[in-house]
Amino acid sequence: MWRYVRILITCARNSLVRDMSFRTNFVLETISSLSWVLMNLGFYVLIFRYAPEIGKGTGWGQYQFFMFLATGLLINSVVQMVFMINAEEFTEAVRTGALDFVLVRPIDTQFFISIRRFDWSALGNFLLGIALGVYALGKMGHLPTALQLILYALYVGCGIAIYYSLMIALAAATVWMGRNLTVLDFWFYITIFARYPMEIYSGPVGGVLRWAFTFVLPVLIVVNVPARMLLRPLLPQSTAEWMLPLFGLAATVACLGVSRWLFQKALENYRSASS
Amino acid sequence: MPVIEVDGLSKTYRVYQKPEGLLASLRGLVRREYRLVEAVRGIRLAVEAGEFVAFLGPNGAGKTTTLKLLSGIITPTAGTARVLGHIPWKREDAYRRRFALVMGQKNQLWWDLPAAESFRLHQHIYRIDPQQFRRTCSQLAEMLDVAHLLQQPVRELSLGERMKMELIAALLHSPEVLFLDEPTIGLDVVAQHRIQSFLRHYQASHGVTILLTSHYMKDVAALCKRVVIIAQGSIIYDGSLSGIIDRFSGQKIISLQMANGQAFDQLDRFGEVLSVEPPRAKLRIRRSDVTQTLARLLSAHAVVDVTVEDPPLEEVIAEVFSHPEEHWGRKVGEAPDLMEDRG
Repeated sequence: MWRYVRILITCARNSLVRDMSFRTNFVLETISSLSWVLMNLGFYVLIFRYAPEIGKGTGWGQYQFFMFLATGLLINSVVQMVFMINAEEFTEAVRTGALDFVLVRPIDTQFFISIRRFDWSALGNFLLGIALGVYALGKMGHLPTALQLILYALYVGCGIAIYYSLMIALAAATVWMGRNLTVLDFWFYITIFARYPMEIYSGPVGGVLRWAFTFVLPVLIVVNVPARMLLRPLLPQSTAEWMLPLFGLAATVACLGVSRWLFQKALENYRSASS
Repeated sequence: MPVIEVDGLSKTYRVYQKPEGLLASLRGLVRREYRLVEAVRGIRLAVEAGEFVAFLGPNGAGKTTTLKLLSGIITPTAGTARVLGHIPWKREDAYRRRFALVMGQKNQLWWDLPAAESFRLHQHIYRIDPQQFRRTCSQLAEMLDVAHLLQQPVRELSLGERMKMELIAALLHSPEVLFLDEPTIGLDVVAQHRIQSFLRHYQASHGVTILLTSHYMKDVAALCKRVVIIAQGSIIYDGSLSGIIDRFSGQKIISLQMANGQAFDQLDRFGEVLSVEPPRAKLRIRRSDVTQTLARLLSAHAVVDVTVEDPPLEEVIAEVFSHPEEHWGRKVGEAPDLMEDRG
């Protein structure tokens, strides 16, 4: 276990050294990433000038929604910082045969290909997520309890695990497809649905979307569950909502299990590439 | 007991046949045609501990595929293999800690970082004791004369320097088996020689078992006592380097030095004239005709000096690679039943 931690730290360190050797690129990436988030935030501030909350009686006022955004930002930034760049590299490594050198290492292949590189430019978004969360909680005058914070951290971890599972499963498909440049595009399209509170998915179409993105591809619970954990105004109002966190845990385990199985199958079918 | 044991090992790929033209490509979206490529066909091989074996063959013969099978990178279609008692494609850590793979055409080091950073990562992956790591790293760097380059980004190294770093990365954990896939490809003569010397010394001092593929006969001649030739996925020869000429070449080269004033115009009566640079000439003749041809030559011409040699090894091997079935005398793919006694 300790060996894996040391490998993780070494990869993170090596990535930082590498990023620092291309300073201008690093600064520009950080700035563009932060700008995109801030522009989005400005857009939502504008919306809340015209609407006091998202949906009537849902409890998602401006600062509750900012807390929701902050949670999404935290989860997305970790995924971007650690897994996204590695999923991209994995698909390329399958196509070029560079995966050969990973397969001969005495280490869990999935672990190693998932953490080989870190995209440190996403750290800015992570810090912004924390700042936004603290700001939103402050504006609400809400001080979370220790249990809430622990559950929040747990479910942020579950959210990251679900996103990661989806991403690694899509990346593993490269082994059968040969070339898979749409991995991140597809992931991006799917995760768009997770950026908003569940309550907006109402009506016949919304109901179907809510069901599908909760029980089939459980991306809706990624941000919704941890955000709810922290926001007292959104205390569960029905038995179904009490079940959501339990389902979140089960979904996380299932996603990790299925993606692990798929990844192992992919490695069995790896063909390498001409040298 | 052999360190590497291979029996009936086969690997078949299904390869998509991409048709030419736009219409055919569009048709390919719905219906595809595939071709089966037998990269390795039922090979049988046993390598003892401490052997340095060359794996020769033309491009696409199945050399690299065999190394990838033995490294556990790909799984076979049929057959068995055991390396150090492990089945490679089970990819057990206990096995992966005991061998290393170097591929001359692929890079395993972090491109933008100094090699030393990649080595440190290897230290953690292979659980190498810090003291041993420092000692091995500095020893290998000294031997390969790259100690001063350890802190330089890999992308700024020459090809030869990078290959030396690749070798260090592969040897840090002191593997018992080393698979080398064209480690000197693209290198200049000096770098090739340096790497050859290093490998010879390292193999002798550590007793490591090495399987080497290379297109450079100088690598093979300098390093390997045993040569395995693979063609179209099958092993067609397993024996000594010199045995290749005995087995596959039915010819000899005669070099003549004529006395002054001798005519060169009728030399083609004796064999194929390879070159004429008065007073010297070279002829290629059938091995079985050597005695008779020499007698006729010496009686017809005033010859000052004569030498009889085997044709160059590269030439013989190129001929074998071009027509493997002709030289093997059977359908390629059948298991060989007669190998040279390797002694």
